[in-house]
Amino acid sequence: MNRRSPWIRRLGVLFILVWSLVPLYWALNISLQTDAQISAKPAHYAPPTPSLHNYLSLLSGNGELPDAIRRSTANIVIECSVATVVTVVLSTLAAYAFARMKFRGRNILFYSVLATMAFPAYTTLIPLYRIMTTFGLVNTYTGIILVYVSGFLPLATWILYNYMSSLPIAIEEAGQVDGANRMQVLWHLVLPLARPGIISTAIITFLFAWGQFLFPLVLSSDLSTQPLTVVIASLEGRHVVPFTLLSAAGVLAIAVPALIAVTLNRYIVSGLLTGSVK
Amino acid sequence: MAAGIGSVGPPLALSADGGPQRTNNRRHRRRVDLLPYALVTPLTLFIVGLALVPAAFTIVESFFRIQELNPPDRFTGLGNFKRLFSDGAVLASLGNTGLYVLIGVTISTVLAIMMAITLQHKFAGRSILIAVLILPWALPGVVEGIVWGSMWDSNTGFFNSLLTSVHLIEHYQVFLGQNRLLTIFAIELVQVWQITPLSTLLVLASLQNIPGELYESAKLDGCSSSSLFRWITLPLARPGITIAMVQAVIVTLNVFDQPYVLNGAATTGASVTMQTYFVSFQNLDFGEGYALSLLITVVTLLISFVVLKLVYRPVEF
Repeated sequence: MNRRSPWIRRLGVLFILVWSLVPLYWALNISLQTDAQISAKPAHYAPPTPSLHNYLSLLSGNGELPDAIRRSTANIVIECSVATVVTVVLSTLAAYAFARMKFRGRNILFYSVLATMAFPAYTTLIPLYRIMTTFGLVNTYTGIILVYVSGFLPLATWILYNYMSSLPIAIEEAGQVDGANRMQVLWHLVLPLARPGIISTAIITFLFAWGQFLFPLVLSSDLSTQPLTVVIASLEGRHVVPFTLLSAAGVLAIAVPALIAVTLNRYIVSGLLTGSVK
Repeated sequence: MAAGIGSVGPPLALSADGGPQRTNNRRHRRRVDLLPYALVTPLTLFIVGLALVPAAFTIVESFFRIQELNPPDRFTGLGNFKRLFSDGAVLASLGNTGLYVLIGVTISTVLAIMMAITLQHKFAGRSILIAVLILPWALPGVVEGIVWGSMWDSNTGFFNSLLTSVHLIEHYQVFLGQNRLLTIFAIELVQVWQITPLSTLLVLASLQNIPGELYESAKLDGCSSSSLFRWITLPLARPGITIAMVQAVIVTLNVFDQPYVLNGAATTGASVTMQTYFVSFQNLDFGEGYALSLLITVVTLLISFVVLKLVYRPVEF
């Protein structure tokens, strides 16, 4: 098939490019136009007079809208970063224990963790909301981060378990023979070797956290903790906000994950594949 | 590695304190090794406290009447479930979700197979294309809903403009919120856009396990491209296709972001998860919400299992 039908591949390549990029291009295109320009029929397929006007009205000044965008951007960055760090640290420790140590209850615990991945995340939406209400954690970073970490830990542990299991054990043995204790082995030998796996886990966790919507929608009712995704969706619901402004907000919310995906895609691919094909 | 110490003997596995000098070996061996427990304790607390216990809550409390505005809570047996099946909005959402799953799983699987075949063999620019491919997977579903919402729009949308230009439609159309099937198709296409990259990677991983000699010898025997696809690629990609379909089933059955953003509460497109959200957090009827969550979870597990049984065949080379 390699040389015999290159035209079929060319068609496939073209399709992937169009499929993946046209919606993103469209958002960018709309966001650089004025309200009058986007009402043209047929539409402008490129902005006639590109302008950052929409971005400026989202980001600068002291109105209600820029305040909400800036605050929720800070919120999403804080929530995603902290959740990622906590998830990666905890899953690294646990994955090391699962991959390299024998202990009573190991299998049952390991399989319970994996089993939670088969359940849809929203199974626990209502009870988590009620638990967070009981402990006064609604509208707090802590509440959102706890929920994120609990949701992402199983996959993170699974990816890192697979990664660590594939590392040659001989190096760790040599370390122990040289008198390092197991935490020293983990810190000085395993962590450097597992770095690509840890980076993959961190990126995937961060992207998942950035994409969350229903959990933060339920767990935060005001700007103190609402992430950008929730604020943008609430703009959309108001109908008075035109597509030009909405698209600009969308591009802002997309920028960070898109940049990560484009620059670090090989970590994402390897992480997703160690995470799912076994 | 140190020669002669090839295997991890028990003494090594037990050196919890790391001291190279261990005089009292026997006592050491009897002591329970606490380190692994310390390492897994945080994970365990999270999983038990914020996944297993809440899941148990969902099961137990779906049999209770729990209405925030109408206390106290009391046991109602199957009362919540009965109310679900007499609620028109819930029934509509069940039908809608069935369509989301059917459309989403079918289109994403077909596209994933096509895209994976495109990427099967190395060519210049392949890694760039993979970076482009995974882009929609990495972005928030809500924002994708907003982006596509502007494309489907009845006054300014990309599709209306394009389809009018090529004379496929005469006037600008309303795609969302009128015809149920069209609405659901338009919304589900947005979710397909998000989930197809992962499906493609999963199928691609299977394809890359297929030894090249298989294709070579089949071609020597005079097989056409289409029969190579039919008799080698497709059957040997089954493990990847299975996982892709199972993940597609799980996410399409639980679709929320895209219909919420694109079509609001309208019954033309509301999914079960949206209905769960409305019942629980707008009507504050947690009992019925629990019952709906439990229902969708059981259906998810069931359908995942059926897909696994139907599609999966172990492949060995």
